[in-house]
Amino acid sequence: MEYYVLSRYAYWKYYFLILYYRLQEFPPAVRVWAIFTSICLLLLISIVLGNFIRVLHSAADSRTIDRYREKYYERMKEVALTARNLELTEISAMLKLPKNFKMHAKQNRRFVPILLDLYRHYADEMSKSNWQRLLQVLKMPAYFDEQVRSRSMRKRIIAFKNVADMDANLKEAVASRYLFAKDRKLQNMARLHAARFGTSYPFKVLLEDPNLVFTDELVIKFHNVLLYRMENGMSMPNLIHWCSKTPVNEELRIFAINEIRLFRRKEDCAEMLSMLQNSREERFSCALIQALGELEYVPAEKEFCRRYLSASFSERQELAKALGLINSGNPEVLKFLEEDFMQTTDYVTRMLLLRTIYNYGKPGRKTYERLKKDAPAEFAIYFEHIECELIDSRRYA
Amino acid sequence: MPEWVYDAFSYFVIAYSSMVLSSYVLFVILAFTEHKKHYTYHDDDYTIEELKKSPYTPGISIVAPAYNEEKTVITNVQSLLSLDYPDFEVVIVNDGSKDKTLELLIENFDLVKVPYAYVEKIKTKPFRGLYKTRSDNPAFKRLTVVDKVNGGTKADASNAGVNVVSNKFFVCTDVDCVLEKNALYRMIWPTMASTRRVIAVSATMRMSNGSIVEDGKMVEPHPPHELIPLFQDLEYTRSFLIGKTALSRINAMQNVSGGFGMFDREVVIKAGGYDGDSFAEDMDMVARMIRYMCDSGEDYRVVQIPETCCWTEGPPNFKVLNRQRTRWGRGLFQFFTVHRDMLWNRNYRQYGMLTLPYILIFELLAPVIEFLGYFMVLSLLVQWAINWNTIWIAFLGLYVFAQLLTVTIISYDVWVGTSFKRRRDYLWFVLASLLEPFIYHPINVFFSLRGYVKQILGTQMVWGNMTRKGVQSAKKPAASTSVAEAKSAAEADAHKEGGKADA
Repeated sequence: MEYYVLSRYAYWKYYFLILYYRLQEFPPAVRVWAIFTSICLLLLISIVLGNFIRVLHSAADSRTIDRYREKYYERMKEVALTARNLELTEISAMLKLPKNFKMHAKQNRRFVPILLDLYRHYADEMSKSNWQRLLQVLKMPAYFDEQVRSRSMRKRIIAFKNVADMDANLKEAVASRYLFAKDRKLQNMARLHAARFGTSYPFKVLLEDPNLVFTDELVIKFHNVLLYRMENGMSMPNLIHWCSKTPVNEELRIFAINEIRLFRRKEDCAEMLSMLQNSREERFSCALIQALGELEYVPAEKEFCRRYLSASFSERQELAKALGLINSGNPEVLKFLEEDFMQTTDYVTRMLLLRTIYNYGKPGRKTYERLKKDAPAEFAIYFEHIECELIDSRRYA
Repeated sequence: MPEWVYDAFSYFVIAYSSMVLSSYVLFVILAFTEHKKHYTYHDDDYTIEELKKSPYTPGISIVAPAYNEEKTVITNVQSLLSLDYPDFEVVIVNDGSKDKTLELLIENFDLVKVPYAYVEKIKTKPFRGLYKTRSDNPAFKRLTVVDKVNGGTKADASNAGVNVVSNKFFVCTDVDCVLEKNALYRMIWPTMASTRRVIAVSATMRMSNGSIVEDGKMVEPHPPHELIPLFQDLEYTRSFLIGKTALSRINAMQNVSGGFGMFDREVVIKAGGYDGDSFAEDMDMVARMIRYMCDSGEDYRVVQIPETCCWTEGPPNFKVLNRQRTRWGRGLFQFFTVHRDMLWNRNYRQYGMLTLPYILIFELLAPVIEFLGYFMVLSLLVQWAINWNTIWIAFLGLYVFAQLLTVTIISYDVWVGTSFKRRRDYLWFVLASLLEPFIYHPINVFFSLRGYVKQILGTQMVWGNMTRKGVQSAKKPAASTSVAEAKSAAEADAHKEGGKADA
């Protein structure tokens, strides 16, 4: 006797054929609709079941993570906080991992949130070498290598993120294969990783990529990377060099100038001033003006005054702010500010100039009082606005 | 009625329903790709950490108009001030409240009138003054209260707020909305990650009825246990997690909710701000922003983020629902009369060629077609001419499809990760979904048609009483509402909804 076992596909085929022939006396619209209803019903059942199974799995997973946390967190903390450099065998002994405990990807994944938690709380106090060895004992670098190489985009991106978050050591070669990846997010993560941990000119890729799209997200992330390098005593890039190199993305040049300003690298001021003298791009010029102002570079005042009359609206505002920040007490600058205040018709620029004069030391305050005295009655509110300490000075002026 | 009329209508309904269902299927697929992208690339904790320590994090202003909100204003302002974000300001616009809203704000936050040089970039009712705190409390320093003459609409008050905000982006919300602690981080991130200029960001909004709120902060979100808010919660979730997410995927968002949305201040001012005469001022605002961007040839994006960032109180009964839906219906009709030139207009890209035709066919015309459908079914019933052998298959198919959509949004909500803590809470959604086609949907059809008729006849809007129940507090249960409180709340709600006349 022969037995025929139907495949899953055949079951569905027969189901729909039966449905089709049973409803043969009905119009085609009804037959199509019946098939559509069946498909919806099947999808409904499969989604409900799928969700149910997923919820059960995730609950079981989180229970296991809690168990691991309870068991190993304190032991791992002890390893990380030990001042003396520990050997790998010592760390294994301290962790008291069971003899039959085989570290595989599933277990590594469960250790990740525990390690992240530990690093977040004790990063400043822990011994860096012991931490790296602890990760080695738990085979985390190998796990991250595997994750970065995996086919799932999410796994790759999360792996890069976790490496950065727990200061794990990922081979440069693994990350470098994605420096020019097609997927922009993955590409960015790899570049950030290279910039964070790289030793041999890690920012090279930014300067060499002609298709670089430097979004605000990258600005924030690269700033944090630079901060990390500075805090860990790693080599810092020559930021001013980024601006003089051609062709470099304009956003990247602006970023470099802003970083010079934030890291207060006054030694670059002279070069920035010469760049400003030759700059024609408005946004880049504004960044230079802002940087020179905040770094209080007095020789820039002359150039600011020269540039002011031919400057655009936003550039003028930056120049007024920068002159106020330099605040050298130069009477010529004050005279210039006053003249411009009298001439300008734009309300915002006027308020900015008035604020700059108000904050320009003793001579500035004197000029301000004179202007206030001479001003028509309807302008009194502007002077009161400037004088009011409760109003945030970012507003208008 | 001749038989051919029934036949023609049947074929029309089959074609129309097929198009509606196909669009839903398409939306579900598009929303899935968007959620997958978000799930792959976005990590909330990572984003927050990066933004928290960066000097480049842009400032955000929160604009919240308040009208006769003395009962709740202090708690709600404290809740807004306690949001987690490095650089934000809260601008409360007192729109000429008749109660003690302003006095309470002055008293509780130690405010004093300051000589502020107000510039009317968008025309509003007269500005009366601006208040800042004298207190040393750093949180209070973030607060600015604008006092102005009552303009009768939320739009006018929001415009006054836009005139004083100092940041590039502002969030427009209602003073009684409960915001998620990390809402501002989530809202700003798309503007930073996008390669195109993001002019507006919308986030998922849910009903706060039934949730536990402590000191204006969401402690435990739960679905409403009353039928009308529950239906609306399901409807909102479906709209945000499927409809808007799908449209956001193809940059064809139709609307950023007036209850919670973030906008680019410069574009809003250039587009002329909110229109006080519009019954759908939020939709109108987005349309005018897009019009401005397209007319000036600039590239733009309007983004929907899937995470729940805001909880709002839904209409507790049919009376209030009627008022809300009639206004929405009226607003939609008015919107098409104002922006009809954008329809099928290639200059307005996806918005003109896709979004507006979709809204016209499947939102504006849907109540009319459905009403005709009900009429036809009734007429066939009277003649006992219904084919009972086939009609049950049609109903079953539609019913199963509706359930499938509900299960899909529940899956998306769990996937996005800002869902209810208790999974069994989703059973309420299932319950609502089972009842919705019989109760909520037909009523909404009627309310929408009422709105259309009112708009055509040009009837003056009159607002009824709104009884607010308030959300559950972790410390004390929702207080019972007195008649006077109800009246005051009614006026406040009418204002929020942009009403022309008081209750």
